[in-house]
Amino acid sequence: MLTASRRFRVWGWSGDDLIRLFFQGNALVAILVLGLITIFLFREGMGFFPQYQKELQLYRKSGLEFVEVMRQQVEAHKALSRLLFQVEKAERQNATPTVTSQQKIAFKNYLAQFRKIIVPLIDLEMEWEKVAVDLRDRYRVAQDKKERKEALLQSGKFQEEEQIRIETFDFQKNANFLKDTLPRYHQINRVISDEINRLINQAPHWTSSKANEQWDEFRESVTRYLSQMPHREKQLEEWNAFEPVPWIRALAGFLLGKEWITQSFWNDFYGILPLLTGSFLIASVALALAVPLGIGAAIYVSQIASKTEQKWIKPCIEFIATIPSVVLGFFGIVVLGEGIRWLTQQEFLSWVPFFPVHNRLNIFTAGCLLGFMAVPTIFTLAEDALNNVPRIFKEASFALGANSLQTILKIMVPAALSGIMAAVLLGFGRVIGETMVVLLVAGNRIAIPDFTQGLGVFFQPAHTMTGIIAQEMGEVVRGSLHYRALFMVGILLFLISLTVNYFAQSLVKRFKISIG
Amino acid sequence: MMKKVGLLIISLCFSHLGLAQKLVLKGSDTLGAKLVPMWAEAYQRVNHSIKFEIAAEGSTTGIAAIMNKTADIGMSSRPVQSTEISEALTKNVNFESTTVAYDAIAVVVNEANPVSNLNQAEVESIFTGDVVDWGEVNDEDGVISVYTRNTASGTFQDWKKMAMHKRDYALSSQKMAGNEQIVAEVAKNKMGIGYVGLAYVEALGLKILSIDGVLPNAESARAKTYPYARPLFFYTDGKPKGEIKKFIDFVLSAEGQKIVNEVGFIPIQ
Repeated sequence: MLTASRRFRVWGWSGDDLIRLFFQGNALVAILVLGLITIFLFREGMGFFPQYQKELQLYRKSGLEFVEVMRQQVEAHKALSRLLFQVEKAERQNATPTVTSQQKIAFKNYLAQFRKIIVPLIDLEMEWEKVAVDLRDRYRVAQDKKERKEALLQSGKFQEEEQIRIETFDFQKNANFLKDTLPRYHQINRVISDEINRLINQAPHWTSSKANEQWDEFRESVTRYLSQMPHREKQLEEWNAFEPVPWIRALAGFLLGKEWITQSFWNDFYGILPLLTGSFLIASVALALAVPLGIGAAIYVSQIASKTEQKWIKPCIEFIATIPSVVLGFFGIVVLGEGIRWLTQQEFLSWVPFFPVHNRLNIFTAGCLLGFMAVPTIFTLAEDALNNVPRIFKEASFALGANSLQTILKIMVPAALSGIMAAVLLGFGRVIGETMVVLLVAGNRIAIPDFTQGLGVFFQPAHTMTGIIAQEMGEVVRGSLHYRALFMVGILLFLISLTVNYFAQSLVKRFKISIG
Repeated sequence: MMKKVGLLIISLCFSHLGLAQKLVLKGSDTLGAKLVPMWAEAYQRVNHSIKFEIAAEGSTTGIAAIMNKTADIGMSSRPVQSTEISEALTKNVNFESTTVAYDAIAVVVNEANPVSNLNQAEVESIFTGDVVDWGEVNDEDGVISVYTRNTASGTFQDWKKMAMHKRDYALSSQKMAGNEQIVAEVAKNKMGIGYVGLAYVEALGLKILSIDGVLPNAESARAKTYPYARPLFFYTDGKPKGEIKKFIDFVLSAEGQKIVNEVGFIPIQ
């Protein structure tokens, strides 16, 4: 046989050479594709920061940043209204029976009065917002026209080019206009603080202790709110439309931003934090389920199970990996999500603080499914690690008189520990990169979950990094800021996977020492 | 030899025709999930050779597809914005719109919810998150679950314009991929509220809210007593030509508009 293969030659290459070349080629293609993907990802994504910086500059120049200070105040006032509602709600639910319906109406009225105080500021804010948004949009249109003009010039269509009129902008005039109306803002603020003080002094008498407790909290927030007023006014007076936005602002806006808002009439913000927390919360639920299941099964199959059991259990667990994720997603919505909601709404569970759960699409449901999906990955790798522990370890342990449970827990698992850790890390990588299930089941709410709810945080809807890419990729125009933002999310995911893999690899390397 | 060349030319012609006879429609879920497939089916009954490719992932995807030149018709439930028009011009694309039907957006809640009417201010405060508890608009308490469409949707944008003074949605809102998904979630969630196109309101477990006492239907939308009514568009790059024009003409014909009525939207006449 060997001599036969030597006789076969093409252009001086032997059969062995050709086979080697074929495999070499395969490896090369894989590496080339990886390189191309990486280059493409970074080329498309890195343009995000300069573009975002420019966007933030325009945000400032057009006066949107100026208006934002007022928007924040309006939001703060609305948050206070919500707190006051909580007082009223506590009163309604826990009041002594002597409270008359007339008093209840008085409470509602009180709440309505507090709400109404902010209306003049909302009107002013909307008026200014209109000016600023309009200026920004017109400026953008003019930028596009400029681009078209240049393109026409280059292709020699001078007549068409001449017909395009580009509006010129005086940002200074706009800034002056905004600043000139500041006295109106001051006056409105004075009225607001007077009204709030008047209302606080006329506060109704709350009968329940819970309402009183909440009322104290509300009072504190009101004091904070009023003390912020001069600060806001000063901020507006010192505001400068032409101060440059440093690039670090764009970077921080992305990495530490708490808001991911797109397609907004106001302004788009690309803050990764809500998506990051969503991804990690879901991954933590998934790992909490998959790690004990996967490792436990691995220990059982490799150490305890009989040959026939092994023959059955291994293929069954590995079969999980072949279920399409979209099928699991549907199962999650219809069966698991619905089941969890049904269970939490049962009377005997009503003592749990955050029950009943109303959203069937939430972090927990998605985490359960992802955990299920990660089990085969963790199981297979952990089982390999356990099987790779040299037999002498086991035999030595038995020889010293240890029973099989002691051997497993004190010898086998510690010896395979780095391999098992690597399995967990790779399972994590599997979970954080999964898309279809989270898109269908996680609930797609782009907000940082409310951690004050304790464990209830796991029953809130969330959005993930993979989910946002899948959901928004279709709507973006190539090269736009939104498009680049999605690529940046992709880069971040890529970096997370890379780090996880690096740690997994280095753990496996350490694993080798224990064998030797 | 001549025969061979002739065959080649003929086959080339056919393959070219084959390409031209496929219409690609992308965009609005409101249009593309029910109405447009019905139109396409009816149109195919007469013109067997036409093939349709319909992808309904939201109006913005349709507008982006026309801009990226990856679709013949962009289905949209919202008009294009000035910045989109100017952006398209830099890519040598001229938007041309055709109104193909009218729609009213219905606010829906779970049938177990005691609320049956809201005013416009309440709708705004619910969707913007100014109000987060049902107890603030009604007697029964409970944290509101707000379901909205995702950002690719034209309804997502229209709703901000019509009902929310262009303000942003509450951060706590959940973004659903289509009308059907909103219907499914609201029908199952006692605390849920969402909005859907008129053609999607017939579902078990759902309650349509009246707004300022007016229920959404063809009459109230035409009379403009219902506040959330809107036109639905087809966008093309330049004036529609050839097969695209033929299809749009069919859509606007009496036969096409009859289908609009059947699906549950409002015909343009």
